[in-house]
Amino acid sequence: MRQSVEWQIAALKAVKAETRRVKTFTLTLPNWVRHQPGQHYDIRLTAPDGYQAQRSYSIASEPEREGEIDLTVERIEEGEVSTYLHDVLVPGDCLEVRGPIGGYFVWDGSMSGPLMLVAGGSGVVPLAAMIRHRAATGMKVPTRLLYSSRTREDILYGEELKQLASAKDGLVVFHTLTRNQESSWTGFNRRIDLAMLAEVVKPLGEAVQVFICGPTLLVESAANDLVVLGIKPAQIRTERFGPTGLVAGV
Amino acid sequence: MAEKFVSRGFVGKRQPADKDGRIPPGQYIREDFPVLSAGPTPRVQLDHWTFTIEGLVQEKVDWNWVEFLKLPAQSFIVDISCVTKWTKLDMNWEGVSLDTLLDYVKLDPKAQFVTAYSYEGYTTNLPIADIVNGQAFIAYKYAGKPLAPEHGGPARLVVPHLYFWKSAKWVAGLRFMEKDEAGFWESAGYHNRGDPWKEERYSNTF
Amino acid sequence: MKDDISVDTNQEMMLDANSVSGLLWDIFGAEMTAEPTKCAHCGNQAEIGTLLAYNQGPGVVLRCSTCGKVVLRIVQTPDAVYLDARGAVYLRFRW
Repeated sequence: MRQSVEWQIAALKAVKAETRRVKTFTLTLPNWVRHQPGQHYDIRLTAPDGYQAQRSYSIASEPEREGEIDLTVERIEEGEVSTYLHDVLVPGDCLEVRGPIGGYFVWDGSMSGPLMLVAGGSGVVPLAAMIRHRAATGMKVPTRLLYSSRTREDILYGEELKQLASAKDGLVVFHTLTRNQESSWTGFNRRIDLAMLAEVVKPLGEAVQVFICGPTLLVESAANDLVVLGIKPAQIRTERFGPTGLVAGV
Repeated sequence: MAEKFVSRGFVGKRQPADKDGRIPPGQYIREDFPVLSAGPTPRVQLDHWTFTIEGLVQEKVDWNWVEFLKLPAQSFIVDISCVTKWTKLDMNWEGVSLDTLLDYVKLDPKAQFVTAYSYEGYTTNLPIADIVNGQAFIAYKYAGKPLAPEHGGPARLVVPHLYFWKSAKWVAGLRFMEKDEAGFWESAGYHNRGDPWKEERYSNTF
Repeated sequence: MKDDISVDTNQEMMLDANSVSGLLWDIFGAEMTAEPTKCAHCGNQAEIGTLLAYNQGPGVVLRCSTCGKVVLRIVQTPDAVYLDARGAVYLRFRW
C-alpha cells in the first residue's frame, strides 16, 4: 500500500506542561491519517532567510483521537527546535509537519503475545501511545511498563498511568528512579538492570514482545539483559534516542 | 509553486558570522568540540598501534607507539572547519608534522596522491601538495591531554586548511598512489578536495 | 555499564534506522524500516529498522547490527541525495 507522506501545515491547538522541562503539544492536522502507536512525526522549522531545522518526535496520543495528535517534547537547552516549541510557539500558531512515519517500532495489537515496554526518560512517549491505544480499544493483552525516570517530578503521565493500571485489566506499571531523594518512594530505586528486568518480565512468559525506548545506553543495556534472560533478539524492538532523549538527536 | 512556509519567530541558533575574517563562508562558531562519526569508536590498544607509510615509496616504514612518541613533536594551534558547518577557532593540538614523517621515506616520482586510512575502514584522499610544508600533522594530544578515542585517539590526521572530514580519525597510515582514489565521503557526494574558503562541500565530479 | 568518565559520546549518539525513516521515505517513496534487507558482508537478514544509525556526521551511515559493517550510506546535498547500497544484498518495498 503506497501512501504519500507529504509536509502539511498543522495548527497548535493546546499546550500542556507535563513537567518542568516537558510539554505536550496538541496539533490539529488538515490531512490527519490514522497512525500506529510508536510512529513519529517530523517537524520542520523555516527561518525567514530560508534556514531550516528538522527534528522527529514520537506521537504520544492514541490513533483513536481523530484529526489531531499529541507530541510530547523535552526542552533541551542547546536544541533549536525544542526551544522554539517551548519558548515561542503559542496556540493558534502553525507548524510544518510530516508523518506518520515509522514501520518497525510500532505496536497496534495485531502482534499476539504479551507486551513488555521499557522506557527511559522521554522514551516513554511512543510507549504511552501504545498503552493509550490498548486502553481505547479495550484490549486485555497482558502488558507491563518498566519506566525509568530521574526523580518523581520527572515522571510523565504519572496520574494517567496510575489510573489505567488501577483498572486491573492486565496492565501493570513499574517505576524506577535513578536520582531519588525521597524516603517515601515505594518503587525501584536504581538504574534498570538485569535483576529488575528479570523480576518484571518473567511473569509475561517467553512469547513476550518487547519495545525499549530511551537514551541509547539504557536501550543497549536493557536489550542485552533481556537477551541474557532468554528473550530472542527478534522479539525485541528498540528506539534509541541518543544521549539527550530526543528522537533523532538535538 | 506554493510560497514557502515560514515559522513565526524562528531564527535558529546560528552565531553571527565572521570574527576578523577567520570564519569560512557558511560556517558558524562552536565553542565545544562535537563528536561526529560514521561508526563506532575503534578501541586500539597502544601496544598494537602502528602508523605506516606505504605505497609508492622506495621502502615502507612504520612506527609503533613508543617509537612514534620519540619523534620530534610540535604544538599546533589551528582553526578547524567541519563540512557540517561548525568552525572551532584556536584548537590546540600536539603531534608530529607530516614533513617530519616524510623525511623517513623516499617517494616514488610517480606518486601524486595519498590516501589516509583508519583503523575501522575510513579513508580520505588528498593530493600530496596538500599535506607537505607544514599543512598536515598526526595529532595525539588535544588541549594538553591525550586525544580521546571519541575524537580519533590514539592519533588522528589533522589537515586544518581543508574540511575536517579530511582529518582522518584513528589514522593507521598513509598510502602514496599514482592515481587519485576517492575516499569514504568523497565517493558519496562530497567534494574531492574540500577547501572551506571556496565552500567546496559537495561533489564536483559526479 | 560504566559510569560517566569513559562514556563514549559516539556510542551514545548511535540511533536505530527508524530515526531516518523520513529520509528513507524521501528516497524510496515508501516506509522502509519494516522491510527486510540482507547484509552483504555477513548475510544477516533483518528489518531495516534494526540497522544502527550514525547520522551526526557528514552523512547517514546504517550499519549491520550483527557485524557492524556499513549496509547503507546516504548523503544529502542541497540538490541531490547519494545512496550507496553496496552493503545490502537487496532492498525492497511493497507496492
